[in-house]
Amino acid sequence: MTLLQLAWKNVVGSAFRSWIVFLCVLVVTALLFSTVLVIRGAQDSLRLVQQRLGADVVVVPEGTETQVETALLMGQPVAVWMPRENLDRIAGIPGVAIVTPQLYLASLANAPCCSAEMFLMAFDPQTDFTITPWLSQNLGHELGLGEAIGGSDVFVPYGEENIRIYGYEIDLSGNLERTGTGLDTALFFTFETAREVAQVSRTKAVRPLEIPSDSISAALARVVPGADPRLVALQIVHDVPGVAAIPSSGLFQTFHRQISGLLRSVLAILGITSVLSLVLVGLVFSMAANERRRETGVMRALGATHGAVLRSLLAEAIILAFGGGITGILLAALAIYLFRNLIVLSLGLSFLFPSFPSLVALGGGGLVLALAGVTLAVLPPALRTCRQDPAVAMRE
Amino acid sequence: MKIPAVLIVILAILIGTLPYFFNCQYDGKALTLENGRQVPMKCYWTAQASLAVAVPLLVVGLLIAFSRQKETLRALALVGAILGIMVILLPTRLIGVCQHPGASCNLVMKPALIFAGSLVISVSLVGLVISRRSVE
Repeated sequence: MTLLQLAWKNVVGSAFRSWIVFLCVLVVTALLFSTVLVIRGAQDSLRLVQQRLGADVVVVPEGTETQVETALLMGQPVAVWMPRENLDRIAGIPGVAIVTPQLYLASLANAPCCSAEMFLMAFDPQTDFTITPWLSQNLGHELGLGEAIGGSDVFVPYGEENIRIYGYEIDLSGNLERTGTGLDTALFFTFETAREVAQVSRTKAVRPLEIPSDSISAALARVVPGADPRLVALQIVHDVPGVAAIPSSGLFQTFHRQISGLLRSVLAILGITSVLSLVLVGLVFSMAANERRRETGVMRALGATHGAVLRSLLAEAIILAFGGGITGILLAALAIYLFRNLIVLSLGLSFLFPSFPSLVALGGGGLVLALAGVTLAVLPPALRTCRQDPAVAMRE
Repeated sequence: MKIPAVLIVILAILIGTLPYFFNCQYDGKALTLENGRQVPMKCYWTAQASLAVAVPLLVVGLLIAFSRQKETLRALALVGAILGIMVILLPTRLIGVCQHPGASCNLVMKPALIFAGSLVISVSLVGLVISRRSVE
């Protein structure tokens, strides 16, 4: 009989003890892994939105920074306005290479003139550098009048041919890739279409779409190579009154802080849970080692070395830790994947499920931690058992 | 086979009850036809069908708990696995749920049924393996 076979027989032979150790490892690994997945997914999602925006500096009306960030991340419609003339002032600031305006609008909820409540974003195709490059790569043409591109979760309602916004029929030309943020439920179209929608809404909508003349919601700027976006942002705030300029590194700071806060509290709770579980595993193995003193004494009397007894006990713990760890990781990954939209809504965080290689790497790390933790917890009782005198052990 | 049986019973209760509280009909939403009549959305029927699958699954769990014959346990574990597949197919292929990604059927009911169905299949397969060692 090999060492593994002996360990497996012991695992199967003491079903209750094995179940306790298995479940302890499963619960701790699943909790740790799901926490890491959520935090990692939220960070990845923030990074992707920053990349998708493609701007070095985002300029918004003063005092609306958090509203705009929430709109971009959570898709909560926002109505903020600043004079269009700000565009020329920003473009004239040294270090700014290109600047493009955006309009942030919202469709109506529970109104027959709108298919659904959505965050609407209008852009200027002549200067835009966020949506247009994607359009030319994936659609092969620019958006025309009445055409729109949707986030990954935008769809044409069943039985209809177009999306209805303020009574205006918009043709959904395609969908962007998933970002795990509010942009996934947003609709993007040109300024021309936005003006057309506003025009039609006066006669066909429950409430007309109001776009203040000569106003924009935000301006996205790219800096010239070598320029520091933070210095350019400071210069914009200095030269253009009534605006806030956020460099890309400073975007979504509220959400970064929220993630860090969540991480700290969850890790503290998980740390306590993990330590308690490992103590329980150690106690269970300590009791098992006491019960099996005669058995290990016989093994030693038959010629088994200290090392062989120690290895058999550790192999038993590793089998259980491996089984519990793998099951915990698989269950956590499946649960987080399936409930990702619910997590986004409940936690108020954007979330993007990690890629397969990254998932495997995280899972591997989690499994190694589980194995190391259980081995450490089991080592003291295992060492005590294998060191005892066989004659004394058999007599007891 | 006690632990797999208990797990299947718990999962059957979840499969039967959870969709009842997380469908659009329960949230007060319905489809309005041209004639003004309101009819339940797809997710309502998925919830009803889940209950129809949950009841035999519950019986399978109880029978596994009280059966001792190897062949019976094996057959029950197989039926459990097939019912688990049905639980997954109801919201994904057979009936489906609503289109809106923010609806409670999409946020909770569908993922919960897929998760519970996967667990039922896994537990039944474990039961199938364990039943090979059971005493007649």
